[in-house]
Amino acid sequence: MSAKKKTQEIGKSQKILHNVYLIEKGEKQILATKSRYGSHYGEKKFGEFREWIPSRSKLAAMLLRGYRIDIRPDWKVLYLGAASGTTVSHLADIVEKGVIYAVEYSAKPFTKLIELAEERRNIIPLLEDASKPQRYSGIVEKVDFIYQDIAQKNQVEIFLDNIRMFLKKGGEGLIMVKARSIDSTAEPPEVFEGVLKKLSRRVKVVASDTLEYHRDHIFVHVWG
Amino acid sequence: MKYRVWFGEVEDGEVRLSDDLVKSFMRVGNDVSGKELPFNVFDLGVKVFGSPERYYSELRKTAIEVARLKAEKELKREDRYAIMLLKALDEIDESINLLENKLADVREVKESEVTEEMEEEIRRMKTLRRRIEGEIEAVMEKVAPNLSSILGGVIAARLLEKVGSLQRLASLPASTIQILGAEKSLYKAMARMRKGKPAKIPKHGVIFQHPFIRTLPKNKRGKMARFMAAKLAIAARIDHFTGELNDELVLEVRRKYEELVRG
Repeated sequence: MSAKKKTQEIGKSQKILHNVYLIEKGEKQILATKSRYGSHYGEKKFGEFREWIPSRSKLAAMLLRGYRIDIRPDWKVLYLGAASGTTVSHLADIVEKGVIYAVEYSAKPFTKLIELAEERRNIIPLLEDASKPQRYSGIVEKVDFIYQDIAQKNQVEIFLDNIRMFLKKGGEGLIMVKARSIDSTAEPPEVFEGVLKKLSRRVKVVASDTLEYHRDHIFVHVWG
Repeated sequence: MKYRVWFGEVEDGEVRLSDDLVKSFMRVGNDVSGKELPFNVFDLGVKVFGSPERYYSELRKTAIEVARLKAEKELKREDRYAIMLLKALDEIDESINLLENKLADVREVKESEVTEEMEEEIRRMKTLRRRIEGEIEAVMEKVAPNLSSILGGVIAARLLEKVGSLQRLASLPASTIQILGAEKSLYKAMARMRKGKPAKIPKHGVIFQHPFIRTLPKNKRGKMARFMAAKLAIAARIDHFTGELNDELVLEVRRKYEELVRG
Protein backbone atom coordinates (compact mmCIF):
# COMPACT_ATOMS: atom_id res chain seq x y z
CA MET A 1 0.00 0.00 0.00
CA SER A 2 1.43 3.34 -0.93
CA ALA A 3 1.63 5.99 1.76
CA LYS A 4 -0.69 8.90 1.22
CA LYS A 5 1.05 12.28 1.08
CA LYS A 6 -0.45 14.82 3.39
CA THR A 7 -0.85 18.14 1.67
CA GLN A 8 1.18 20.68 3.61
CA GLU A 9 -0.23 24.10 4.18
CA ILE A 10 2.04 26.84 2.95
CA GLY A 11 1.52 30.52 2.50
CA LYS A 12 2.92 33.18 0.22
CA SER A 13 6.26 32.63 -1.45
CA GLN A 14 8.87 35.12 -2.56
CA LYS A 15 11.47 34.35 -5.22
CA ILE A 16 15.00 35.31 -4.19
CA LEU A 17 17.10 33.47 -6.79
CA HIS A 18 16.44 31.25 -9.75
CA ASN A 19 14.35 28.40 -8.31
CA VAL A 20 14.97 29.58 -4.74
CA TYR A 21 12.08 30.83 -2.64
CA LEU A 22 11.31 32.13 0.82
CA ILE A 23 8.02 30.62 1.87
CA GLU A 24 5.72 31.61 4.68
CA LYS A 25 4.74 28.68 6.76
CA GLY A 26 2.66 29.61 9.78
CA GLU A 27 4.69 32.09 11.79
CA LYS A 28 7.98 31.05 10.23
CA GLN A 29 9.72 31.63 6.95
CA ILE A 30 11.45 28.71 5.35
CA LEU A 31 13.85 28.48 2.46
CA ALA A 32 13.14 26.08 -0.38
CA THR A 33 14.09 25.25 -3.93
CA LYS A 34 11.68 24.44 -6.69
CA SER A 35 12.38 20.87 -7.59
CA ARG A 36 10.77 18.05 -9.47
CA TYR A 37 12.72 15.54 -7.46
CA GLY A 38 11.98 13.87 -4.14
CA SER A 39 13.57 14.33 -0.74
CA HIS A 40 17.29 13.56 -0.54
CA TYR A 41 18.32 13.99 3.09
CA GLY A 42 15.06 13.88 4.99
CA GLU A 43 13.91 17.39 4.09
CA LYS A 44 10.19 18.04 3.66
CA LYS A 45 8.45 18.58 0.35
CA PHE A 46 5.71 21.14 -0.08
CA GLY A 47 4.22 20.55 -3.47
CA GLU A 48 6.91 21.45 -5.96
CA PHE A 49 9.10 22.98 -3.23
CA ARG A 50 11.86 21.18 -1.39
CA GLU A 51 12.73 22.62 2.00
CA TRP A 52 16.34 23.77 2.29
CA ILE A 53 17.45 23.30 5.87
CA PRO A 54 20.00 25.90 7.07
CA SER A 55 21.41 23.74 9.85
CA ARG A 56 22.31 21.13 7.25
CA SER A 57 23.58 23.43 4.52
CA LYS A 58 25.86 26.41 4.94
CA LEU A 59 24.75 27.85 1.64
CA ALA A 60 21.16 27.90 2.93
CA ALA A 61 22.38 29.57 6.14
CA MET A 62 24.10 32.24 4.07
CA LEU A 63 21.01 32.93 1.97
CA LEU A 64 18.86 33.19 5.07
CA ARG A 65 21.39 35.59 6.52
CA GLY A 66 20.36 37.84 3.65
CA TYR A 67 23.43 37.56 1.46
CA ARG A 68 22.77 36.69 -2.17
CA ILE A 69 24.99 35.44 -4.93
CA ASP A 70 23.23 35.51 -8.25
CA ILE A 71 23.75 31.89 -9.25
CA ARG A 72 22.53 31.57 -12.83
CA PRO A 73 20.62 28.52 -14.11
CA ASP A 74 23.27 27.79 -16.75
CA TRP A 75 26.30 28.05 -14.49
CA LYS A 76 28.97 25.42 -14.44
CA VAL A 77 30.02 24.71 -10.89
CA LEU A 78 32.97 23.00 -9.23
CA TYR A 79 31.87 21.86 -5.79
CA LEU A 80 34.62 20.81 -3.38
CA GLY A 81 33.60 18.78 -0.35
CA ALA A 82 30.28 17.54 -1.67
CA ALA A 83 29.84 14.97 1.15
CA SER A 84 26.53 13.16 0.71
CA GLY A 85 25.11 15.85 -1.52
CA THR A 86 22.82 17.81 0.78
CA THR A 87 23.78 21.23 -0.56
CA VAL A 88 24.58 19.81 -3.99
CA SER A 89 20.99 18.65 -4.38
CA HIS A 90 19.66 22.19 -3.95
CA LEU A 91 22.40 23.72 -6.06
CA ALA A 92 21.44 21.23 -8.78
CA ASP A 93 17.89 22.60 -8.62
CA ILE A 94 19.29 26.09 -9.21
CA VAL A 95 21.74 25.36 -12.03
CA GLU A 96 19.20 23.21 -13.83
CA LYS A 97 20.69 23.98 -17.23
CA GLY A 98 24.29 23.85 -16.05
CA VAL A 99 26.47 21.20 -14.48
CA ILE A 100 28.04 20.50 -11.09
CA TYR A 101 31.36 18.72 -10.74
CA ALA A 102 31.01 17.35 -7.22
CA VAL A 103 34.30 16.36 -5.58
CA GLU A 104 34.34 14.29 -2.40
CA TYR A 105 37.22 12.34 -0.92
CA SER A 106 35.51 10.04 1.52
CA ALA A 107 33.87 6.94 0.08
CA LYS A 108 31.11 6.57 2.68
CA PRO A 109 29.13 9.77 2.11
CA PHE A 110 30.07 9.55 -1.56
CA THR A 111 27.80 6.54 -2.10
CA LYS A 112 24.82 8.76 -1.25
CA LEU A 113 26.13 11.36 -3.67
CA ILE A 114 26.25 8.75 -6.43
CA GLU A 115 22.57 8.02 -5.85
CA LEU A 116 21.85 11.71 -6.27
CA ALA A 117 23.90 11.87 -9.48
CA GLU A 118 21.95 8.93 -10.85
CA GLU A 119 18.68 10.70 -10.17
CA ARG A 120 19.68 14.11 -11.55
CA ARG A 121 21.03 14.88 -14.98
CA ASN A 122 23.50 17.62 -14.07
CA ILE A 123 25.85 16.16 -11.44
CA ILE A 124 29.25 14.65 -12.21
CA PRO A 125 30.44 12.80 -9.08
CA LEU A 126 34.21 12.61 -8.53
CA LEU A 127 35.81 10.56 -5.76
CA GLU A 128 38.94 12.66 -5.56
CA ASP A 129 41.11 14.60 -3.14
CA ALA A 130 40.44 18.33 -3.59
CA SER A 131 43.99 19.11 -2.49
CA LYS A 132 45.25 17.36 -5.62
CA PRO A 133 43.41 19.15 -8.43
CA GLN A 134 45.87 17.93 -11.06
CA ARG A 135 44.33 14.47 -10.57
CA TYR A 136 41.03 15.61 -12.03
CA SER A 137 42.44 18.21 -14.40
CA GLY A 138 41.48 16.10 -17.41
CA ILE A 139 37.84 15.95 -16.35
CA VAL A 140 36.77 19.30 -14.93
CA GLU A 141 36.27 22.10 -17.42
CA LYS A 142 36.52 25.84 -16.84
CA VAL A 143 33.71 26.79 -14.49
CA ASP A 144 31.74 29.91 -13.52
CA PHE A 145 31.60 29.17 -9.83
CA ILE A 146 33.72 27.30 -7.31
CA TYR A 147 32.11 26.40 -4.00
CA GLN A 148 34.13 24.93 -1.21
CA ASP A 149 33.12 23.46 2.10
CA ILE A 150 35.86 21.25 3.44
CA ALA A 151 36.87 21.51 7.07
CA GLN A 152 40.58 21.14 6.64
CA LYS A 153 43.59 22.94 7.95
CA ASN A 154 44.77 24.01 4.51
CA GLN A 155 41.32 24.63 3.08
CA VAL A 156 42.19 28.14 1.87
CA GLU A 157 45.19 26.91 -0.13
CA ILE A 158 43.06 24.14 -1.63
CA PHE A 159 40.43 26.69 -2.63
CA LEU A 160 43.01 28.95 -4.29
CA ASP A 161 44.67 26.05 -6.13
CA ASN A 162 41.35 25.02 -7.62
CA ILE A 163 40.53 28.60 -8.55
CA ARG A 164 43.81 28.87 -10.40
CA MET A 165 43.21 25.70 -12.36
CA PHE A 166 39.51 25.79 -13.07
CA LEU A 167 37.87 29.18 -12.64
CA LYS A 168 36.90 31.13 -15.76
CA LYS A 169 37.94 34.76 -16.06
CA GLY A 170 35.28 36.73 -14.25
CA GLY A 171 34.15 33.65 -12.34
CA GLU A 172 33.13 33.66 -8.69
CA GLY A 173 34.01 31.64 -5.64
CA LEU A 174 32.44 30.92 -2.30
CA ILE A 175 34.29 29.34 0.60
CA MET A 176 32.90 28.23 3.93
CA VAL A 177 35.64 28.64 6.49
CA LYS A 178 35.67 26.74 9.73
CA ALA A 179 37.83 28.41 12.37
CA ARG A 180 38.28 25.32 14.50
CA SER A 181 39.73 23.19 11.75
CA ILE A 182 42.24 25.82 10.66
CA ASP A 183 43.50 26.50 14.15
CA SER A 184 41.71 24.97 17.10
CA THR A 185 43.61 27.00 19.69
CA ALA A 186 43.33 30.52 18.27
CA GLU A 187 40.24 32.70 18.65
CA PRO A 188 37.95 32.45 15.60
CA PRO A 189 38.12 36.20 14.74
CA GLU A 190 41.91 35.94 14.55
CA VAL A 191 41.69 32.90 12.30
CA PHE A 192 39.19 34.63 10.02
CA GLU A 193 41.38 37.70 9.73
CA GLY A 194 44.30 35.54 8.61
CA VAL A 195 42.11 33.76 6.09
CA LEU A 196 40.83 37.00 4.56
CA LYS A 197 44.35 38.31 4.29
CA LYS A 198 45.52 35.16 2.57
CA LEU A 199 42.59 35.23 0.15
CA SER A 200 42.86 38.88 -0.77
CA ARG A 201 46.45 38.39 -1.90
CA ARG A 202 45.17 36.28 -4.78
CA VAL A 203 41.50 37.06 -5.38
CA LYS A 204 39.11 39.90 -4.74
CA VAL A 205 37.17 39.45 -1.54
CA VAL A 206 33.65 40.74 -2.15
CA ALA A 207 31.98 39.98 1.14
CA SER A 208 32.21 37.82 4.21
CA ASP A 209 30.15 37.28 7.31
CA THR A 210 29.42 34.81 10.05
CA LEU A 211 26.79 32.12 9.65
CA GLU A 212 23.89 31.30 11.90
CA TYR A 213 23.32 27.60 12.65
CA HIS A 214 27.04 26.90 12.14
CA ARG A 215 29.18 27.99 15.03
CA ASP A 216 32.61 29.54 14.29
CA HIS A 217 32.07 29.52 10.54
CA ILE A 218 32.18 32.35 8.03
CA PHE A 219 31.46 32.48 4.34
CA VAL A 220 33.71 34.43 2.01
CA HIS A 221 32.53 35.44 -1.45
CA VAL A 222 35.35 36.13 -3.91
CA TRP A 223 35.87 37.10 -7.51
CA GLY A 224 38.66 35.30 -9.35
CA MET B 1 53.50 17.73 -24.43
CA LYS B 2 50.91 15.03 -23.95
CA TYR B 3 47.84 15.53 -21.73
CA ARG B 4 45.40 13.01 -20.44
CA VAL B 5 41.72 13.83 -20.54
CA TRP B 6 38.89 11.53 -19.58
CA PHE B 7 38.05 10.64 -23.17
CA GLY B 8 41.59 10.06 -24.37
CA GLU B 9 44.89 11.82 -24.89
CA VAL B 10 45.71 15.22 -26.32
CA GLU B 11 48.98 15.98 -28.06
CA ASP B 12 49.62 19.23 -29.95
CA GLY B 13 45.90 19.88 -30.12
CA GLU B 14 45.24 16.44 -31.62
CA VAL B 15 42.87 14.18 -29.70
CA ARG B 16 43.38 10.44 -29.60
CA LEU B 17 40.05 9.01 -28.49
CA SER B 18 40.18 6.26 -25.89
CA ASP B 19 38.54 2.95 -26.74
CA ASP B 20 37.64 2.40 -23.09
CA LEU B 21 36.23 5.55 -21.47
CA VAL B 22 36.09 4.04 -17.98
CA LYS B 23 39.76 3.18 -18.15
CA SER B 24 40.87 6.56 -19.46
CA PHE B 25 38.63 8.33 -16.93
CA MET B 26 40.39 6.53 -14.12
CA ARG B 27 43.89 7.66 -15.03
CA VAL B 28 43.30 11.18 -15.94
CA GLY B 29 45.91 12.93 -13.78
CA ASN B 30 48.21 15.46 -15.39
CA ASP B 31 51.41 16.63 -13.79
CA VAL B 32 50.87 20.31 -14.46
CA SER B 33 52.16 21.57 -11.09
CA GLY B 34 49.11 23.64 -10.27
CA LYS B 35 48.77 25.36 -13.63
CA GLU B 36 45.71 25.15 -15.80
CA LEU B 37 45.67 22.97 -18.90
CA PRO B 38 46.39 24.85 -22.15
CA PHE B 39 42.89 24.00 -23.41
CA ASN B 40 39.38 23.68 -22.02
CA VAL B 41 38.42 20.00 -21.74
CA PHE B 42 34.84 20.88 -22.59
CA ASP B 43 35.65 22.64 -25.88
CA LEU B 44 37.74 19.69 -27.06
CA GLY B 45 35.15 17.21 -25.89
CA VAL B 46 32.30 18.89 -27.72
CA LYS B 47 34.32 18.60 -30.93
CA VAL B 48 34.92 14.93 -30.25
CA PHE B 49 31.37 14.02 -29.25
CA GLY B 50 29.57 16.33 -31.64
CA SER B 51 27.44 18.34 -29.19
CA PRO B 52 27.37 19.53 -25.56
CA GLU B 53 24.43 17.20 -24.89
CA ARG B 54 26.35 14.15 -26.15
CA TYR B 55 29.45 15.27 -24.27
CA TYR B 56 27.68 15.62 -20.94
CA SER B 57 25.69 12.45 -21.29
CA GLU B 58 28.86 10.42 -21.97
CA LEU B 59 30.74 12.22 -19.21
CA ARG B 60 27.99 11.65 -16.69
CA LYS B 61 27.57 7.99 -17.58
CA THR B 62 31.30 7.34 -17.31
CA ALA B 63 31.72 9.35 -14.12
CA ILE B 64 28.95 7.45 -12.35
CA GLU B 65 30.35 4.10 -13.42
CA VAL B 66 33.84 5.02 -12.24
CA ALA B 67 32.44 6.49 -9.03
CA ARG B 68 30.69 3.23 -8.21
CA LEU B 69 33.77 1.14 -8.92
CA LYS B 70 36.05 3.33 -6.85
CA ALA B 71 33.70 3.73 -3.90
CA GLU B 72 33.01 0.03 -3.70
CA LYS B 73 36.68 -0.83 -3.78
CA GLU B 74 37.48 1.65 -1.07
CA LEU B 75 34.68 0.76 1.27
CA LYS B 76 35.44 -2.91 1.16
CA ARG B 77 39.04 -2.69 2.10
CA GLU B 78 39.73 0.26 4.29
CA ASP B 79 38.61 -1.01 7.69
CA ARG B 80 40.43 -4.32 7.15
CA TYR B 81 43.49 -2.33 6.20
CA ALA B 82 43.39 -0.33 9.44
CA ILE B 83 42.99 -3.50 11.48
CA MET B 84 45.91 -5.21 9.75
CA LEU B 85 48.10 -2.17 10.23
CA LEU B 86 47.23 -2.15 13.92
CA LYS B 87 48.28 -5.79 14.22
CA ALA B 88 51.55 -4.95 12.51
CA LEU B 89 51.99 -2.06 14.94
CA ASP B 90 51.59 -4.36 17.93
CA GLU B 91 54.09 -6.84 16.46
CA ILE B 92 56.63 -4.16 15.84
CA ASP B 93 56.22 -2.81 19.37
CA GLU B 94 56.94 -6.22 20.73
CA SER B 95 59.97 -6.64 18.51
CA ILE B 96 61.37 -3.28 19.48
CA ASN B 97 60.91 -4.08 23.13
CA LEU B 98 62.55 -7.46 22.82
CA LEU B 99 65.49 -6.17 20.84
CA GLU B 100 66.05 -3.31 23.23
CA ASN B 101 66.22 -5.73 26.14
CA LYS B 102 68.63 -7.98 24.34
CA LEU B 103 70.75 -5.05 23.33
CA ALA B 104 71.02 -3.93 26.93
CA ASP B 105 72.04 -7.45 27.95
CA VAL B 106 74.72 -7.69 25.29
CA ARG B 107 76.05 -4.24 26.09
CA GLU B 108 76.53 -5.12 29.72
CA VAL B 109 79.04 -7.73 28.61
CA LYS B 110 80.74 -5.95 25.77
CA GLU B 111 80.39 -2.91 23.52
CA SER B 112 81.07 -3.76 19.86
CA GLU B 113 80.28 -2.97 16.24
CA VAL B 114 77.40 -5.41 16.39
CA THR B 115 75.75 -3.55 19.25
CA GLU B 116 75.90 -0.38 17.21
CA GLU B 117 74.26 -2.13 14.28
CA MET B 118 71.54 -3.40 16.58
CA GLU B 119 70.95 0.09 17.83
CA GLU B 120 70.70 1.37 14.27
CA GLU B 121 68.22 -1.36 13.43
CA ILE B 122 66.05 -0.46 16.42
CA ARG B 123 66.06 3.16 15.37
CA ARG B 124 64.90 2.15 11.90
CA MET B 125 62.10 0.10 13.37
CA LYS B 126 60.98 3.05 15.44
CA THR B 127 60.79 5.18 12.31
CA LEU B 128 58.72 2.49 10.65
CA ARG B 129 56.53 2.35 13.74
CA ARG B 130 55.79 6.06 13.44
CA ARG B 131 54.99 5.62 9.75
CA ILE B 132 52.53 2.84 10.50
CA GLU B 133 50.93 4.86 13.26
CA GLY B 134 50.53 7.83 10.92
CA GLU B 135 48.94 5.62 8.28
CA ILE B 136 46.49 4.20 10.81
CA GLU B 137 45.49 7.73 11.83
CA ALA B 138 45.00 8.73 8.20
CA VAL B 139 43.01 5.65 7.24
CA MET B 140 40.84 5.76 10.35
CA GLU B 141 40.01 9.39 9.74
CA LYS B 142 38.51 8.31 6.44
CA VAL B 143 36.85 5.07 7.53
CA ALA B 144 35.53 6.27 10.86
CA PRO B 145 35.89 10.03 11.24
CA ASN B 146 33.66 10.26 14.32
CA LEU B 147 35.22 7.40 16.26
CA SER B 148 38.65 8.81 15.43
CA SER B 149 37.77 12.33 16.50
CA ILE B 150 36.79 11.05 19.96
CA LEU B 151 39.41 8.37 20.48
CA GLY B 152 42.25 9.14 18.09
CA GLY B 153 42.94 6.83 15.19
CA VAL B 154 44.93 4.15 16.97
CA ILE B 155 42.53 3.48 19.85
CA ALA B 156 39.61 3.63 17.41
CA ALA B 157 41.37 1.03 15.26
CA ARG B 158 41.78 -1.12 18.34
CA LEU B 159 38.02 -1.15 18.87
CA LEU B 160 37.61 -2.24 15.26
CA GLU B 161 40.19 -4.95 15.76
CA LYS B 162 38.28 -6.32 18.74
CA VAL B 163 35.05 -6.78 16.82
CA GLY B 164 36.41 -7.27 13.30
CA SER B 165 34.64 -4.60 11.31
CA LEU B 166 32.99 -1.22 11.48
CA GLN B 167 29.68 -2.79 10.59
CA ARG B 168 29.78 -5.01 13.63
CA LEU B 169 30.89 -2.21 15.90
CA ALA B 170 27.96 -0.11 14.69
CA SER B 171 25.55 -2.82 15.76
CA LEU B 172 26.85 -3.06 19.34
CA PRO B 173 25.19 -1.39 22.33
CA ALA B 174 27.18 1.21 24.27
CA SER B 175 27.46 -1.10 27.28
CA THR B 176 29.33 -3.65 25.19
CA ILE B 177 31.61 -1.06 23.63
CA GLN B 178 32.42 0.19 27.11
CA ILE B 179 34.06 -3.08 28.14
CA LEU B 180 35.45 -4.27 24.80
CA GLY B 181 38.91 -5.56 25.54
CA ALA B 182 38.04 -6.43 29.14
CA GLU B 183 36.23 -9.66 28.33
CA LYS B 184 38.41 -11.74 30.57
CA SER B 185 37.68 -9.80 33.72
CA LEU B 186 34.01 -9.53 32.74
CA TYR B 187 33.63 -13.30 32.51
CA LYS B 188 35.57 -13.75 35.70
CA ALA B 189 33.18 -11.36 37.43
CA MET B 190 30.18 -13.09 35.94
CA ALA B 191 31.43 -16.49 37.12
CA ARG B 192 31.83 -15.16 40.64
CA MET B 193 28.37 -13.62 40.57
CA ARG B 194 26.86 -16.90 39.47
CA LYS B 195 28.29 -18.47 42.58
CA GLY B 196 26.81 -15.66 44.61
CA LYS B 197 30.17 -14.15 45.50
CA PRO B 198 30.96 -10.43 45.39
CA ALA B 199 32.50 -9.46 42.08
CA LYS B 200 34.10 -6.51 40.40
CA ILE B 201 32.60 -5.81 36.99
CA PRO B 202 35.09 -4.08 34.73
CA LYS B 203 34.40 -0.42 33.96
CA HIS B 204 36.41 -0.18 30.80
CA GLY B 205 38.48 -2.11 28.29
CA VAL B 206 40.18 -0.67 25.25
CA ILE B 207 38.86 2.80 25.88
CA PHE B 208 40.79 2.97 29.16
CA GLN B 209 43.77 3.91 27.01
CA HIS B 210 42.15 7.23 26.30
CA PRO B 211 43.67 10.02 28.42
CA PHE B 212 40.21 11.28 29.42
CA ILE B 213 39.64 8.06 31.33
CA ARG B 214 43.16 7.16 32.32
CA THR B 215 43.89 10.50 33.94
CA LEU B 216 40.74 10.67 36.07
CA PRO B 217 40.69 9.49 39.67
CA LYS B 218 39.50 5.91 40.00
CA ASN B 219 36.05 6.72 41.33
CA LYS B 220 35.19 8.81 38.28
CA ARG B 221 36.52 6.58 35.57
CA GLY B 222 33.39 4.48 35.41
CA LYS B 223 31.22 7.52 34.83
CA MET B 224 33.49 8.80 32.10
CA ALA B 225 33.74 5.39 30.45
CA ARG B 226 29.97 4.99 30.43
CA PHE B 227 29.47 8.42 28.91
CA MET B 228 32.19 7.97 26.34
CA ALA B 229 30.90 4.55 25.32
CA ALA B 230 27.46 6.02 24.73
CA LYS B 231 28.94 8.63 22.41
CA LEU B 232 31.11 6.02 20.72
CA ALA B 233 28.07 3.89 19.94
CA ILE B 234 26.50 6.88 18.21
CA ALA B 235 29.78 7.70 16.48
CA ALA B 236 30.18 4.16 15.16
CA ARG B 237 26.69 4.26 13.68
CA ILE B 238 27.21 7.61 12.00
CA ASP B 239 30.53 6.40 10.65
CA HIS B 240 29.01 3.22 9.31
CA PHE B 241 25.87 4.68 7.80
CA THR B 242 26.75 8.17 6.59
CA GLY B 243 30.44 8.72 7.27
CA GLU B 244 30.07 12.42 7.90
CA LEU B 245 31.89 14.11 10.75
CA ASN B 246 29.77 15.54 13.53
CA ASP B 247 31.97 17.48 15.90
CA GLU B 248 29.33 17.84 18.57
CA LEU B 249 30.19 14.36 19.81
CA VAL B 250 33.78 15.10 20.63
CA LEU B 251 32.79 18.39 22.27
CA GLU B 252 30.28 16.65 24.50
CA VAL B 253 32.90 14.14 25.58
CA ARG B 254 35.35 16.94 26.35
CA ARG B 255 32.73 18.85 28.33
CA LYS B 256 31.90 15.78 30.39
CA TYR B 257 35.58 15.24 31.10
CA GLU B 258 36.08 18.82 32.24
CA GLU B 259 33.02 18.55 34.42
CA LEU B 260 34.37 15.40 36.07
CA VAL B 261 37.84 16.86 36.55
CA ARG B 262 36.42 19.87 38.32
CA GLY B 263 33.56 18.33 40.28
